[in-house]
Amino acid sequence: MTYEVTVEPTGDVIEVEEGQTILDAALRQGVWLPFACGHGTCGTCKVQVVEGDADLGNASPFALMDVERDEGKVLACCAIPESDLVIEADIDVDPDFEGYSVEDFTARVISTVDLSPTIKGITLKLDNPITFQAGQYINLEIPGVQGSRAFSIANSPSDPSIVELHVRLVPGGAATTWLHETLKEGDELSLSGPYGQFFVRKSDVKDVIFIAGGSGLSSPQSMILDLLEQGDTRQIYLFQGARNVAELYNRVLLTELAEKHSNFHYIPALNAPTAEDQWQGFTGYVHEAAIDHFDGKFTGHKAYLCGPPPMIDSAISALMQGRVFEADIHMEKFLTAADGADSETRSALFKRI
Amino acid sequence: MSAKKLNLKDKYRLLTRDLDWEYSYADRKKAFPYEEFEGIKITDWSKWEDPFRLTMDAYWKYQAEKEKKLYAIFDAFAQNNGHLNVTDARYVNAIKIFLTGVSPLEYQAYQGYAHVGRQFGGAGARVACQMQSIDELRHVQTQIHAMSHYNKYFDGFQDWTHMHDRVWYLSVPKSFFDDARSAGPFEFLIAISFSFEYVLTNLLFVPFMSGAAHNGDMATCTFGFSAQSDEARHMTLGLEIIKFLLEQHEDNVPIVQKWIDKWFWRGTRLLSIVAMMMDYMLPNKVMSWKEAWEVYFEEAGGALFKDLARYGIRMPKFVETTEKEKEHISHQAWWIFYNYGHAAGFHTWIPSDEEMDWLSEKYPDTFDKYYRPRWELAKKMEAEGKRFYSQALPQLCTTCQIPMGFTEMDDPTQIAYRSSDYEGEKYHFCSDGCKHIFDQEPEKYVQSWLPVHQIYQGNCGGASVEEVLRDYYKLNLGADNLDIKGSPDEQRWKEWKGVA
Ligand SMILES: Cc1cc2nc3c(=O)[nH]c(=O)nc-3n(C[C@H](O)[C@H](O)[C@H](O)COP(=O)(O)OP(=O)(O)OC[C@H]3O[C@@H](n4cnc5c(N)ncnc54)[C@H](O)[C@@H]3O)c2cc1C
Ligand code: FES
Ligand SMILES: [Fe+2]
Ligand SMILES: [Fe+2]
Ligand SMILES: [Zn+2]
Repeated sequence: MTYEVTVEPTGDVIEVEEGQTILDAALRQGVWLPFACGHGTCGTCKVQVVEGDADLGNASPFALMDVERDEGKVLACCAIPESDLVIEADIDVDPDFEGYSVEDFTARVISTVDLSPTIKGITLKLDNPITFQAGQYINLEIPGVQGSRAFSIANSPSDPSIVELHVRLVPGGAATTWLHETLKEGDELSLSGPYGQFFVRKSDVKDVIFIAGGSGLSSPQSMILDLLEQGDTRQIYLFQGARNVAELYNRVLLTELAEKHSNFHYIPALNAPTAEDQWQGFTGYVHEAAIDHFDGKFTGHKAYLCGPPPMIDSAISALMQGRVFEADIHMEKFLTAADGADSETRSALFKRI
Repeated sequence: MSAKKLNLKDKYRLLTRDLDWEYSYADRKKAFPYEEFEGIKITDWSKWEDPFRLTMDAYWKYQAEKEKKLYAIFDAFAQNNGHLNVTDARYVNAIKIFLTGVSPLEYQAYQGYAHVGRQFGGAGARVACQMQSIDELRHVQTQIHAMSHYNKYFDGFQDWTHMHDRVWYLSVPKSFFDDARSAGPFEFLIAISFSFEYVLTNLLFVPFMSGAAHNGDMATCTFGFSAQSDEARHMTLGLEIIKFLLEQHEDNVPIVQKWIDKWFWRGTRLLSIVAMMMDYMLPNKVMSWKEAWEVYFEEAGGALFKDLARYGIRMPKFVETTEKEKEHISHQAWWIFYNYGHAAGFHTWIPSDEEMDWLSEKYPDTFDKYYRPRWELAKKMEAEGKRFYSQALPQLCTTCQIPMGFTEMDDPTQIAYRSSDYEGEKYHFCSDGCKHIFDQEPEKYVQSWLPVHQIYQGNCGGASVEEVLRDYYKLNLGADNLDIKGSPDEQRWKEWKGVA
């Protein structure tokens, strides 16, 4: 038995399975709802039921007050429909979010290459075409590893049968070690996607700055390929950070793109070049390359940041000191299990940063 | 498909932005006369993100529910003689300070937000301030109702508004809010919404509310929780104003920094009374002031200022001093009150032996070394029938109005004195922080209504201190003031409890 849930104000309709929560169904079907804890304690996912009945599930009395229960509010992350529903959510409809639905895929490995000493390029052919927005990611299942792992799609959405990944080897990491050492051409993998809110806000005409660190080139590569394929004429700046020349992968591809498109500017930065590198370009961290290039003033740009959390942190500070703020900064942090471990006190100053 | 329905954000937007009139025949600058003189530059009010999207009907519904629950508890508290459940009669003195020192600030907040709720050019900011204004009025009303029960059984509650306006130590909280309310509208929000409600609020409310919970005071505890449920909104207003100002124009950054420096220091001085309440006045302790400062300012504030650094904002000036002060301030403040216990509207006492042991444990580096000897001496003198009260009127700090009793933090045996000369007069301060604040705006602080000066100038009636206390402050001498030992409060408590 499934129920139909209509989400206002967008009017999206989702199918919810017996025993499934509204949030789970919505996310699986490409309808984004605000959420945080995912288990009924924070209240972020509160929605109003306008028509129909739902079981409240494990909503905490602090996250959902008595009056709110009386008014028909529910927490989407634990509410289970008991009839068809109409709900009203506090959503900002991002005009650029396409909301493609999440699907499960079976993929065959068609090539693996060593992009750098620590990053492997993996190209997968899917059983069915995937529709995604450039910048989004997939969740990959790895044989013998518990839980799925997130990897961003590096190719342009124009070939929907292909998913290209750039996977950095995480020391002591179960999945990335397997992908680097055991995976071979012809293997089959399961994945689901697309996920995420990291995509180019094309309706905003401002020039764009991409800052990518390590395997964080994946999403920006896809986003830039997509923009250029579509003949977008805004100025596009890519700052790519790596340790040394060996780690600076896809340099040829990007240099050629920059030669071909006068509105695309490619600025690689190495923070620890070796003597043999004979490096002529910018030496220093990637956010410093951006400061250097723009003389510290970023006003009038939108920024897209992708890569390891410390790089993103430095880049945000650089951008804000150059007077670009939260509303114009979008990011994908490549979190690993190690990042979740240190939960230091967080201030509430920023929503998305 | 039919026309798309509005989401909550858009609904709220319509509610507020419809209040944004076009000034077709009137001069916008005249309509908002206070918007520019502080030097703040607003380029685009539409960038204001409404910190809470609450429509008026939803607001009344929520608040009505809170009131219903709260007053049901007050009724039960009164019917069950709830005052008999507090730990002991000493505890009630903490809430005398609350009623005379803090509740009037809720009223000042009500007035302050009503004022700025008219003065901002942006409708979002106006509506947020007006809603908070009503909240604050509710806070003061619920507090008066809660305390009215204690007024039936204990001294010192009867003339709290009168006392707030006149009594020497209550001029500390009063002048704090007067200072904020007589500033421009943007400074008021940085002072109260950001510095006070966001950065320091946990150091005021948590001690009083958990102090109440630990000491059997259900009434105070419940109005605290009820008020706290509004605070989430007040705190987000504090965050929005600071982000908004910092993002609007880079010229705002140094102005905001100056205000943060000022209001952080003013706030810490105001909290010295909370510090002594936590360490000395609660029969059942919650945590030490030092611990509270570490958790609520050093940790939480540290994370906040790390984020603010992205805007080019640094830690408030004199934050290093507060790191040292947390070891000393509560002991020095209670000592001041012990010395002036005859001039206070509540009772004082010497900490018991167990309490002194607790203080030694919580302040291993300072209590035994500097403060225990004082209390041992006071105990000895009391035993010999020589309980002393300082008769000379103290000099007050021109900025924070606290008697000059705080010491140099690097030498706790040396009282700190600072001074500035302005137009041929000398002004005195308790600290570098207070001197700095004066030096930034001397023309404002030379107008301070300093209670001791006023007494000397003959503006507070009577020739003797006793007359001032009795006639001008309306202290009920012999009942409201002096030690708890031998007070009518203590006698009644013993009778109720059936102890000799
Ligand atoms: C949205 C998103 C997109 C991403 N895109 C990419 C991409 O395109 N390319 C890319 O290379 N990476 C990407 N990442 C990062 C990638 O998902 C991780 O590197 C990957 O999940 C690591 O998996 P693993 O099994 O190898 O490591 P894990 O086994 O999960 O361990 C990771 C690290 O944490 C340590 N660790 C494990 N458990 C704990 C614990 N409980 N406490 C403390 N430490 C622990 C391990 O020792 C190891 O050092 C992305 C991440 C996110 C969130
Ligand atoms: S996501 Fe936290 S309560 Fe639902
Ligand atoms: Fe309040
Ligand atoms: Fe408040
Ligand atoms: Zn002072």
